Amino acid sequence: MAVEAEVGALVPWAEAPARRVSRALKGAFPGRAGPSGHGKRIVASALIFLGACSRADKVVVGAKNFTESDLLAEIIAQQIERRTTLPVERKLHLGGTFVCHEAIKAGQIDVYAEYTGTAYTAVLKHQPGPGADSVRRLVENEYASQWRLAWLEPFGFNNTFAITVRQADAERYGLKTVSDLAAVAPRWKAGFGYEFLERADGFAGLSRVYGLRFSAPPLAMDLGLTYRALADGKVDVIAGNSTDGQIEALHLVVLADDRHYFPPYEAAPVVRAEVLERHPEVRRALAELAGKLDDAEMRRLNARADVQHEDIRAIARDWLTRVAP
Amino acid sequence: MELLRFYSANSREALGLLTQHLWLVLLSTVVAVAIGVPLGILLARRPRWRRPVLGFANVCQTIPSLALFGFLIPLPFIGGVGARTAIVALVVYALLPIIRNTYAGIAGVDPAVREAGRGMGMTDRELLTMVELPLAAGVILSGIRVATVIGVGVATIAAAVGAGGLGVYIFRGVAVVNDTLILAGALPAAVLALAADGLLGLVERRFVWR
Repeated sequence: MAVEAEVGALVPWAEAPARRVSRALKGAFPGRAGPSGHGKRIVASALIFLGACSRADKVVVGAKNFTESDLLAEIIAQQIERRTTLPVERKLHLGGTFVCHEAIKAGQIDVYAEYTGTAYTAVLKHQPGPGADSVRRLVENEYASQWRLAWLEPFGFNNTFAITVRQADAERYGLKTVSDLAAVAPRWKAGFGYEFLERADGFAGLSRVYGLRFSAPPLAMDLGLTYRALADGKVDVIAGNSTDGQIEALHLVVLADDRHYFPPYEAAPVVRAEVLERHPEVRRALAELAGKLDDAEMRRLNARADVQHEDIRAIARDWLTRVAP
Repeated sequence: MELLRFYSANSREALGLLTQHLWLVLLSTVVAVAIGVPLGILLARRPRWRRPVLGFANVCQTIPSLALFGFLIPLPFIGGVGARTAIVALVVYALLPIIRNTYAGIAGVDPAVREAGRGMGMTDRELLTMVELPLAAGVILSGIRVATVIGVGVATIAAAVGAGGLGVYIFRGVAVVNDTLILAGALPAAVLALAADGLLGLVERRFVWR
């Protein structure tokens, strides 16, 4: 009783587990009124242990504020639920890259899907340049040493920034690549999301590499609204995501990045190393998904969510039962 | 400190955004007054319209701004991207307090005073301009004041449709988790809201019938 009271006073939230432990101990030593000195130590260390993992005993899955990130998070969450006994908490649609990065560094979330190129340029602030393999290796090493965050195997698709125009315009002006765009750009109006305008691998570098000059500075607006604005002819060029389901649905086309300005953006789960150490089954569960999701498949899943407005939980469940039964 | 350094390095841009912000609020409030006050007077004359009109204004108030922009972009004349769409959205959000207070102000005029006016041979128009509106001015003005203060805050969402304003700093700051940038937009918006509240409070005090 004394132990319970003490610990309860010290750590109010630990009271319930303390009572449970002490009850278990009473069961183990039936002849005694309470735990002995030896028992006390066990209780104390059990409590420290409980305190340390009370937060970590569930897995918190985060996502950025767009459909694909939510879908990948839901896939990760369901796969952990299917293959382990850990409870999973979802914190979807949190914010941009930087919001998720800060959240996982602070331990507010345990895992989310990140893109190698995004981590390379936007988080680690490297200049765009090297090829896919070296980007991934660099990102893996720096995440591990700086923040104890582990990159698991990529899902298998590359969601690059997609310089997107209306199909009709692409046909009329014969646009296939971003280089082709430079010729018509002076008469055109661009609309970009704030992240694309701010990032190191965003608009500033793109316009330098391709010599893009638009009629006016690009309109800064909400990313989701740029698709709408492009489809309705309010702007002529946007920077979307290449796996976005809206592209086909709204009759838009993606121009090829012929000068390879954008680094590869392979999506992979980023997990706190601490979680993997304590629960290796999480790594095993997510390894099953490596390389299973290519560009076309991702675009289809996104379209099911964005165009057909299906529930992302159902989309994730369908896909998981198909590729990892 | 960092904020001051930011402003001194970007003073022209910051002033430009501040001016844009003021224009957005000013124009949208003027339009909202031009629509809301007559509508409020109409409601006082036709009490049966009160529920549907106020209900509609109430519903408008609850539409999330991004959803509203999504609806507005494809519309001709009032839609598109840029300042016009933002002003339409801001007007929609400003209407409720103005309509409601205009209605409440006029409906709250003592019936005895109205009867006295009628007894002196006033026409409906004279009754409105010489009795009801002056007596209701305080309540109407406080509605406009509320709408303006709300407008200063809400105008930050104009940055989502490329209309600029102080919201640009907030959106950019949120996109890259830069607190200085977020504050660079949020702080002047807050000061602006307080200033607008104080200024309109003074006007209100001058006009109130005592």
